[in-house]
Amino acid sequence: MRNILIFLLLFALMIVLNSAVYTVNEAEQVILTQFGRPIGDRVIDEPGLHYKLPFVQKVNRFDQRYLEWDGEANQLPTRDKRFIWVDTYARWRISDPLLYFQRLRDENGAQRRLDDILDGETRNSIANHDLVEVVRASNREPAEDATLSEEERQILEPIEYGRERIRQEILQNAQQRTGDLGIEILDVRLKRVNYIEDVRKNVYDRMISERNRIATRFRSEGEGEASRIRGEMERDLKQIESEAYKDAEEIRGDADAEATGVYAEAYNQSGASRDFYDFLKSMETLTATVDGETTLLLSTDGEFYRYLENSSP
Amino acid sequence: MSNRPFETVVHFPDLGKRFSGFRPNGSLLRFLLLGFLALLFVLTAVYQVEPEEKGVVMRFGEFVRTAEPGLHFKLPLGIEQVLKVPVERQLKQEFGFRTERPGVRTVYSNEPHDDVSLMLTGDLNIADVEWVVQYRIVDPEKYLFRVRNVEDTFRDMSEAIMREVVGDRTINEVLTVGRQEIASLVEVRLQDLADQYETGLKVEQVVLQNVNPPEAVKASFNEVNQAEQEREQKINAAQAAYNQVIPRARGEAEQAVSQAEGYALDRVNRARGDAARFRALYQAYSRAPEVTRKRMYLETLSEALPRAERKIVVDDSVEGLLPLLPMGGAAVSGTAAPRGGGG
Repeated sequence: MRNILIFLLLFALMIVLNSAVYTVNEAEQVILTQFGRPIGDRVIDEPGLHYKLPFVQKVNRFDQRYLEWDGEANQLPTRDKRFIWVDTYARWRISDPLLYFQRLRDENGAQRRLDDILDGETRNSIANHDLVEVVRASNREPAEDATLSEEERQILEPIEYGRERIRQEILQNAQQRTGDLGIEILDVRLKRVNYIEDVRKNVYDRMISERNRIATRFRSEGEGEASRIRGEMERDLKQIESEAYKDAEEIRGDADAEATGVYAEAYNQSGASRDFYDFLKSMETLTATVDGETTLLLSTDGEFYRYLENSSP
Repeated sequence: MSNRPFETVVHFPDLGKRFSGFRPNGSLLRFLLLGFLALLFVLTAVYQVEPEEKGVVMRFGEFVRTAEPGLHFKLPLGIEQVLKVPVERQLKQEFGFRTERPGVRTVYSNEPHDDVSLMLTGDLNIADVEWVVQYRIVDPEKYLFRVRNVEDTFRDMSEAIMREVVGDRTINEVLTVGRQEIASLVEVRLQDLADQYETGLKVEQVVLQNVNPPEAVKASFNEVNQAEQEREQKINAAQAAYNQVIPRARGEAEQAVSQAEGYALDRVNRARGDAARFRALYQAYSRAPEVTRKRMYLETLSEALPRAERKIVVDDSVEGLLPLLPMGGAAVSGTAAPRGGGG
């Protein structure tokens, strides 16, 4: 009987002890509440073992870390009336658990408020700027691409604000609105920005026609250059042929002239030489022309047959 | 209780609850109980840290020490708790695609990841970008205690940063010349942001994988490449034709000129030869023209005449011969009748 009593006593002690001691780990911060109301304004965030009044006081734990917020992707219009899907995310912290506890109570409440605030600020900022300001961040010069022609070289339109400034605008506005909620927003970023489906098709069409233009240009450049080379080829060909002809004929002509001169010099020395040449040539021709088919009609008056009739002329 | 971070080990095992309605009444039971407690004691006091890990030991939730790889002891029964963080292991996240089975031949998932991979470029075109981020946990304390859900946070950051960088570039830069620059820039900015968020991560490398124009536009992009090739082809073909025709023409031209030169040489030399011969002959002839002439004449005739098929010697006083002269092989039938009177 006594054993049971001792055991029960120990048992009760354990329960009391259990409710009087609690731990706080590195990622937590704790507020003690008594009957639903916070005690003092102390936030217990030192990790380790802590004590409280058993049963009466309750431990309310809050995450000390940076917490996620992920907005639903929304279709938002920009100032230049383009509709885009914007998906933002944010990271935030419970900076003042007491305030947080009073205003928002728990994370569900916090997420809902953040939805309102962040979605609202995002919508506002996007609507105040053109699409190009939301996408681009700087006025940098695009890298040179030598294969593109002058008109195709993409110009990046100069921007005034840029993505970064818009983002900071959203962040600052949101931070102001969370100031009295015990929340600190660390960062807001545009995770995704995309065209809506209809606009996407148009963009694709534009991209396709742009590419087609470039392809056509390449093809016609090829044709043009090939034609030019062909023309050059024909011109050079004609030039070579005609020059060769000219040179050859000149050479032949000079040779003929020289030969003629040489002959004339020999044959034309005097009247007697001309005569002799005449005679010589005639003799040669005679030798050449008389052949097996020839019939000769000869007169006895001629030199050859002179002595046929008489022995003396 | 279940919302608490790191809630894995039973905290302060509630002995009371365990044994309510249970009366110990045998020494065997007592013995088993003690044995069980001892086992529990030992099991919760010993832990092992793998080679690529670091152990983070917390006592009552407070960080007290890190543990190197190996076998270690800690206070049992949940007083001390250890969390193991893989600090040496290289981790990676894939964007726009998913490796289904890594290996010698990696298998990729066929599902589209358009929502991640499609993004706007600076000239308001659309690109399809796949990339990988390789990173390591370098600060286990920060990794565990500063940010909730570090992996998801890191993912969100990576997407945001990649889109920031791509959004500042033209579609051409993204597809071709700017790839390396983009990867390097994302690496730097992502690290800055990871530090700002106190994630305890180190970005080892950012690697762009496939970067393509969107599916619907791919064909026309390919056509541009094709057209460029065609251009080169056409130009090369024309050049080749040129290189075939012109050198040959030049060769033929040279040949023509050489031939002419040959002709010239021939002609002039022959002329000179002929002239020299004539001169010599003429000189000899000049010394005795009459005799030389007669001699040459008779020599010529004596050579030529025998070759003629028929020779008809006619005396001038014979008249009226001509009309009856038979030709073509028949023998001459005497002389024709003389014309008129005569001798």
